[in-house]
Amino acid sequence: MNDKFSFKKGSRARALFRIFNVFFLLLTVVAILVPLLKVVSDSLDATGSYGLRLIPLHPTLAAYKAVITQTTLYTPFLISIYITVLGTVIGLFLTTLGAYILIQDDMPGRKLFASLLFFTMLFNGGLVPTYLNMKNLGLMNSLWAIILPLSLQVYNLILMKSFFEGIPKALMESAEIDGCTPMGIFVKIVLPLSKPALAAIGLFFAVSFWNEYFNFMLYISDPNKLNFQIKIREMIIESTTTQSTASSGIYSKTLQNAAIIVTILPFAVIYPFCQKYFVQGITLGAVKG
Amino acid sequence: MQTKKVKPTNNRVTKTSSSRVIKKMLRYKYFYLMSLPVVLITFMFYYMPMYGIKFAFTKYGPFAPPKFIGLENFRTLFKTPQFLSAFKNTISLSLLNLCIGMVVTIVFALLLNEVKNKFAKSFVQTLLYLPHFLSWVVVASIFTIILSPQDGFINQILVQLGYKPIYFLVSEKWWTPIFLFIARWKDTGWGTIIYLAALSGISPELYEAASIDGANRIKQCFHVTLPGIMNTILVVFILDLAKVLNLFDSVFNLMNPLVYSVSDTIQTYTFRVMSQQADYGYTTAVGLFKSVVALVLVLAANQISKKIKGSSIL
Repeated sequence: MNDKFSFKKGSRARALFRIFNVFFLLLTVVAILVPLLKVVSDSLDATGSYGLRLIPLHPTLAAYKAVITQTTLYTPFLISIYITVLGTVIGLFLTTLGAYILIQDDMPGRKLFASLLFFTMLFNGGLVPTYLNMKNLGLMNSLWAIILPLSLQVYNLILMKSFFEGIPKALMESAEIDGCTPMGIFVKIVLPLSKPALAAIGLFFAVSFWNEYFNFMLYISDPNKLNFQIKIREMIIESTTTQSTASSGIYSKTLQNAAIIVTILPFAVIYPFCQKYFVQGITLGAVKG
Repeated sequence: MQTKKVKPTNNRVTKTSSSRVIKKMLRYKYFYLMSLPVVLITFMFYYMPMYGIKFAFTKYGPFAPPKFIGLENFRTLFKTPQFLSAFKNTISLSLLNLCIGMVVTIVFALLLNEVKNKFAKSFVQTLLYLPHFLSWVVVASIFTIILSPQDGFINQILVQLGYKPIYFLVSEKWWTPIFLFIARWKDTGWGTIIYLAALSGISPELYEAASIDGANRIKQCFHVTLPGIMNTILVVFILDLAKVLNLFDSVFNLMNPLVYSVSDTIQTYTFRVMSQQADYGYTTAVGLFKSVVALVLVLAANQISKKIKGSSIL
């Protein structure tokens, strides 16, 4: 919009910059897209000779069929879904409650509550004390050991608080005068007005629960309670076979690629619909700093 | 304010300050009740582990009760070459990642901000944000396959061009650059969101005034754009610094024993020692050392920002 103010001399430099910018962004798109495309393409490849192709020569869904029919992957998949759904619900519950307390400016003890939460961002007991604590709580091999600690993320709480601060105070005060209890105000006024923030932070929670693997490695030894990410690790990162060997007609590499896509797919489906919410969510915190 | 909800029974309370506080607290009794779940979880999973820090000063294995040995663990720490190497790697990898990350992200945000075509801009943004949501397990899997020396995409290209295949992830020379690249691949786009928001907040009048004064685009960038987002840059810097020594997921999924010398970080080292030797005392000491260094870094950065901006961020 400030082009019209630039001098003639600058306009050629400007055009050069435009071309450079387009070229640069194209390069970026390629750099992001190629690894992802390659995975999709190789997961559909039937020949087992991957080469430089980004489009499979003889596309087949055999690998997906193999992944989906592999019964050893059913439980991990269900565990992943269970953790994600339950964790997101509990996470949103704690986050909204905490943020609602944080906006009560006059409440005695609010500062203490805030610094109690904030300090956990700066300092923590470390890996081993956390592990021993979990052992003492008797939560080894329990999925609560995964869900509960992760459902309180102070950064999300701060984002939620910034959003709540944008809700007009007058709304809450008039409800209070009408005899509404704090819980009533929270459920009937604050939450319905916070749908965009709930969507954004809900997505952040869902993603972090879906992607969780480390706490599983620490606390869960029961093979029936491991999630999909752990299985992916076993299949690809920890796998020692480097050559693509064919088992039951499907190359192991094709199978690995298909497994990666299965992990990404649930997220990829909802991603385009949530983009506007998470951009809103993250910039909310930025305004406040 | 405190007259709003005074109950009849409270009428005879004298107006001393302590009784006023109690009255106020009674008014907020439901809020205290509502804060309980959050406080409980915070204590159970964040504060109770801090009690275990005392094990840093003990000899403690899985089969013997902890025995106080003072600072012995810390002395062992500084004599263990693996720890020193892990410490060095943590500092260098995280500082490299932080600095390169800041610069690359800001440059991307500035360039994206210049794109005027709405459709192209949102297409690029959608694509750029995507990798942030993939887990490190998935990202590392994708790149393990792509960088594979046998039939990985990159090595296929090298072979076609007449070069020998490179064992990227097991080469000490290649591991660090590859790691830094993958970290950028994953999180650059996500980082730009916050800067783009700040950039859109800069008033167009500032640019008009600058160009009337004869400032060209580059001068405008340095005198209008960058000062305009300086505050955001500082906030992001401090927030990033708060997690700067937390280098686990990314490294853990990309490393292997052949490149420990360049990739092993304090956290991966702690995890390995803990799961292999179960020496709780020593590993707690390692973790404590890391936490304290990280805390000092953040507080120092906060002091510096106080000096520069006149206000603290924390």
